[in-house]
Amino acid sequence: MEVLATAALYALLALGLNVIVGFAGLLHLGYAAFFAIGAYAYALLNLRAGCPFWLGLPLAGICASATAVLLGLPAIRVRGDYLAIVTLGFGEIVRIVVTNLEPWTGGPNGLLGIDHPQIGSLRFGVDSKLYYWLLLFLVGLCAWAARRLQRSRIGLAWAAIREDELAARSLGIDATHLKLTALAVGGAMAGAAGCVFAAKQGTVTPDSFDFILSVMILAMVILGGLGSISGALLGAATLSVLPELLRDFSTYRMLLFGALMILLMRVRPQGLLGSRPSRHVPAGS
Amino acid sequence: MAPLQAAHLGQYVDDCRTEIWYTLNMADNLPHLAIAGAARICAALLFLAGCGQAEPAIRIGFAGPFTGDQAAQGLDMLEGARLAVEEAVSRGGVLPGFRIELVPMDDQRNPAQAVSVAKRLAADPNVMVVVGHLNSSCTKPASAIYYEARLLHVNPVSSNPEISRQGFDTFFRVCATDDLQGPAGVRFALEELKAKRLFILDDMTTYGRGLANEFEKAARAQGLEILGHEGIAQGEKDFSPLLTKVKSLGPDLIYFAGMFPEGALLIKQKSELEIPAHFLGGDGLFEPTLITLATPRAAEGIYLTTLGADIRQVPSAQSFVRAFEAKHGHLGAYSSYAYEATRLALEAVRRAGRKDRAAVLAAMREIQEYDGILGVHTFDEKGDTTLRTIGIYTVRKGKFQFVQAAE
Amino acid sequence: MTAAELFLQQFINGLTIGSVYALIALGYTMVYGVIQLINFAHGEVFMVGAYLGLMVLLLLPPSPGGVLTALLAAGTGCALLGMLIERVAYRPLRRAPKLSVLITAIGVSFFLQNAMMLLWGAQDRYVPACFSPGRLGGGAVSITPMQAVIFAVSLFLMIALQLLIHRTPLGRAMRATAQDPLAARLVGIRVEGVVSSTFAIGSALAGVGGVLFGLHYSTINFHDGYLVGLKAFTAAVLGGIGNIPGAMAGGLLLGLLEGLGAGYLSTQWKNVFAFAVLVLVLLFRPRGLLGERVAERA
Repeated sequence: MEVLATAALYALLALGLNVIVGFAGLLHLGYAAFFAIGAYAYALLNLRAGCPFWLGLPLAGICASATAVLLGLPAIRVRGDYLAIVTLGFGEIVRIVVTNLEPWTGGPNGLLGIDHPQIGSLRFGVDSKLYYWLLLFLVGLCAWAARRLQRSRIGLAWAAIREDELAARSLGIDATHLKLTALAVGGAMAGAAGCVFAAKQGTVTPDSFDFILSVMILAMVILGGLGSISGALLGAATLSVLPELLRDFSTYRMLLFGALMILLMRVRPQGLLGSRPSRHVPAGS
Repeated sequence: MAPLQAAHLGQYVDDCRTEIWYTLNMADNLPHLAIAGAARICAALLFLAGCGQAEPAIRIGFAGPFTGDQAAQGLDMLEGARLAVEEAVSRGGVLPGFRIELVPMDDQRNPAQAVSVAKRLAADPNVMVVVGHLNSSCTKPASAIYYEARLLHVNPVSSNPEISRQGFDTFFRVCATDDLQGPAGVRFALEELKAKRLFILDDMTTYGRGLANEFEKAARAQGLEILGHEGIAQGEKDFSPLLTKVKSLGPDLIYFAGMFPEGALLIKQKSELEIPAHFLGGDGLFEPTLITLATPRAAEGIYLTTLGADIRQVPSAQSFVRAFEAKHGHLGAYSSYAYEATRLALEAVRRAGRKDRAAVLAAMREIQEYDGILGVHTFDEKGDTTLRTIGIYTVRKGKFQFVQAAE
Repeated sequence: MTAAELFLQQFINGLTIGSVYALIALGYTMVYGVIQLINFAHGEVFMVGAYLGLMVLLLLPPSPGGVLTALLAAGTGCALLGMLIERVAYRPLRRAPKLSVLITAIGVSFFLQNAMMLLWGAQDRYVPACFSPGRLGGGAVSITPMQAVIFAVSLFLMIALQLLIHRTPLGRAMRATAQDPLAARLVGIRVEGVVSSTFAIGSALAGVGGVLFGLHYSTINFHDGYLVGLKAFTAAVLGGIGNIPGAMAGGLLLGLLEGLGAGYLSTQWKNVFAFAVLVLVLLFRPRGLLGERVAERA
C-alpha cells in the first residue's frame, strides 16, 4: 500500500512536470523545489497557524505556484540547456535555504508533528490506504485538467512555442506569459503533492527534496514519452514500482534498476508512449 | 501455515536477506555476488524448513543506520541487540509459546527514512516493542509514530533532552542526556584543560545542535569567552576555510558536537593547519573508526565526553564485554547500550506475559530499579534513566583511553 | 595572523578544491563541446577513479611512486570506463530525442554508485596517507605537501591538455568536430572515434581528480560523486560550457568562491554562494564567463 501511495505521489509530480517540460518545452531540473515549498508551506501553516489540511492543500498549491512564477521570471530569459542549469541552481538554492533557515524550518531535522487530514470523524492517521485514494483522486483531477489544457488554445500555443519559439512569437503568441502559465500550473501540482506528502509523513526534512528527486521525476516524464499525459503516469508507475519488483534481488536491485533504465531507453528512445520523433526541447546551440 | 504468517512470508524472507547482508557487511567481507546469492537462497530454505514447526512470533524492532557513513556504529548496536535476544532465547525464551524475532530496520541516519521505517514497524501487528534509532534526529520524529501506535519504544543512545520532553508515555531511554553531557564537557574544559576562549562547531542535527547549545549555555554561565558557534553540514568534506578562520581567532579549545565522519575530518584538517588548540567532542565521536579516519597522529590528545563510565570498569558489564568480544573481536561504543535497551524490552515483554502492546507498555512502566549491565535503572516520569554518569576519554597512541567520570 | 595572511591562506584553501573541480569540469565541457551532451554520469566516473586509486594504494606501499601508479591506474581505468559508457549508453541514442540520453545517464549513475557500494561497502573508506604531514613554508601562510601535489598534477594536466588540443592531429579533429560534426565528417574525420577519445580524455582527468580528492580528504564514499560532480558541472557552466580554458577558470573560481565564502561569511551558506553565483552569471552572461556569444543555431 505504501508503494502504491508513493507511486500515486510520483504520478502527481510527473503530471505537473509534464506540463512544464512536455507541453511548454521548458527543461526544468529544479522541480523538487516546488514540491518542497508545498510541503513546507503546509507544515508551517499547520504548525504555526493551526491551518487544517483541506485549507492547506490549495494554499500550498498557491505558494508553490507563486514561487515557480517568481523564480521563472528571470529564468525563462535563458534557453534550452541553460534554462535547465539555472533551474537546477534554483532547486539547490531552495533546498539549502530550507536547510539553513533553522528557526523556521527546523534545519536538517525538519519539522515534526504535522497534522494528518481528517474528513468529519474519519482521521487519515499513519495508514497509507486513505492517502492512496486521496492521491488517486488528485491525480485524476490533474490529469483531467492537463488534458483540457492541452487541447485548449493555451495548449496549442505551448506546442507552438515548444516546436519553434521564434515562429510562435512572430505569430503574435505571448511566449513569456505562456511559459509562466505553464510554470504556474506545474508548480501548483507539485505544491499540492508536497502538501499531501507532508500530511502523510507527519514530518518534512530538506533531504527529501534533493536534486535526485528532480531528476527522477524528469526521468518518469521522459520515460513515459514527453508531452503525453498517460505516458507521464506510466513513467511514474514504472520507475516507482520497478525498484519494488526488483526487491527479489535485494542488494543489487538499484544496480539492475540503473541497467534497466539504460536498456529501456535503448529499446524505445522516444519514451514508452511517445510517438512523435520530433525534437521536443530546442537545442542549446 | 497460518494465514497471518502467509501474509508476512515475503516480508520475513526479505528481512532474512537484509540480515544476511548486514552480517556480510559487518564482517567487512566484500559481499561477493555469489556468496550473497547463496546466502539468500539458504535464508529462504531455512525459512521454509522452519515453517512446519513455527511458533507464533513476537517481533522486536531494531532501528538504526546499517548503511551509509554511520553504518559502523549502527551495526555494532545491532550486534548488541542480537546478543541480548540470543541470550534470552538460550535461557529458554521470553514468553512460553512464542519465538522472539529481531527485525533490523535501516534508517540510514535519515529522519525521513526513520519515519517510514517506524511506520512499517508500527503497522506490523507482531512487533511488540521497538529498540532504537541511533541519531536523535531520527529518534525524535520516529517516537511520535510509536506513540500514535501505542508501541513501547526503548532508546539506547539518542541523548537529545527534547525527545523525552515531548510527553510521549511510550518513550524510555537508557543513556544520560545532553543537558548533562554539555555542562560536564564545560567543567572538564575549564578545570582540566584551563580553556578560556572557545570556538563551538556542530553538525546542525537535533543531536549536534542540541548538545552544542547545552555546551554553550553552560560555558557562558561559567564566564568563558565564546569566539563563535557555527554549523557544518553532514557529508561535507572540506572544512579548511572554516578552520583557517577559527585559527585566526586563536581559541584555546575547539568543541565539536556531531558524529565521527565529520569529526574525523575536522580533527585531521585542524592538525594539518597546525591549530594549537585543544579539541573536545561529544559522544558522537566515540567510535574507533574516528581514529583511523583522522589518522592516529592527528587524533592524539583529543578529548571527548561519553554517555556513561568506562564499560570495562563497570563490574556488572564484564560478562557482557567478554561475551561480545568473544563473538566479534571488538566492542562497539554503543553495543552495550543497545544490549541494555534490548534486555529491558525483553523484560517488559516477559513481565507483560502476553502478546499485547498495551500490556507490554504497562509492564515497562512498572519496571523500577532494574539491575542492568550499565547500573541500576529507574525511569523518571519522562522515561529517562536515573543513571547519569558522563565519561571523559582521550586518545593515546591511536586508542581511546578513559580519563575520568563526571556525574 | 594578519588579515592579508588570512586572506592568502583562504585563497590557497579555495584553489585546492578548485583545482579538483577544474579537472572534473574539463570532462563535462569537452563532451559538451563535441556533442552538446551533458554527461550526468561524469561525477560517478570521478568517484570510480577515487576507488581505483584506493585499490592501488592498498596494494602498494604508501609512497610517491605508489601515488603515481594510482594516478595512472585511475586515469587509464576511467578512460576505458568513459569509452564504455559512451558506447553503451550514449552512442545508440545519438539520433534519439536529446532528453532520452538524460535517462541513460541517470541509469549509468545508479549502476556505478551501486556497483561501488557492493564492492566497497556503504561506509566511508580510509585512504592511506602517502605524504608526510606538516607544512611547507614557514610563517603564517603555508601549504601541505598534498596541496602542492594537487596543484602540480592539475597544472601539468591542464597544460598537457592544451597542448593536446592545439598541437596534435587528434586535437584538431576534436576542434573540427566541435565546430561542425557534418563538415568534419566530410573532410574525413572519424567523428565516432573523436567522440570516443573525448570521453576517454575527460574521464581520465576525472579519475585523476578522484584520486587526488581521496588522498586530500583521506576518506571516500560512493556518494561523493554526486555533489562534487554537480559542483564541477557548475564550474563548467560558470566558465562557459564547451570552452576548455573556461572550465579551468570556472573550477578555480568556484573553489575560491566557496573557500572565501565559507571563510569570511558562513560555512552553512557556502553552497548557496556557489549556486547563486551560477544563476547570476547565467542570467547576465548566459554563455558563461568565457563563453562566446553565438546565435542560436536552428
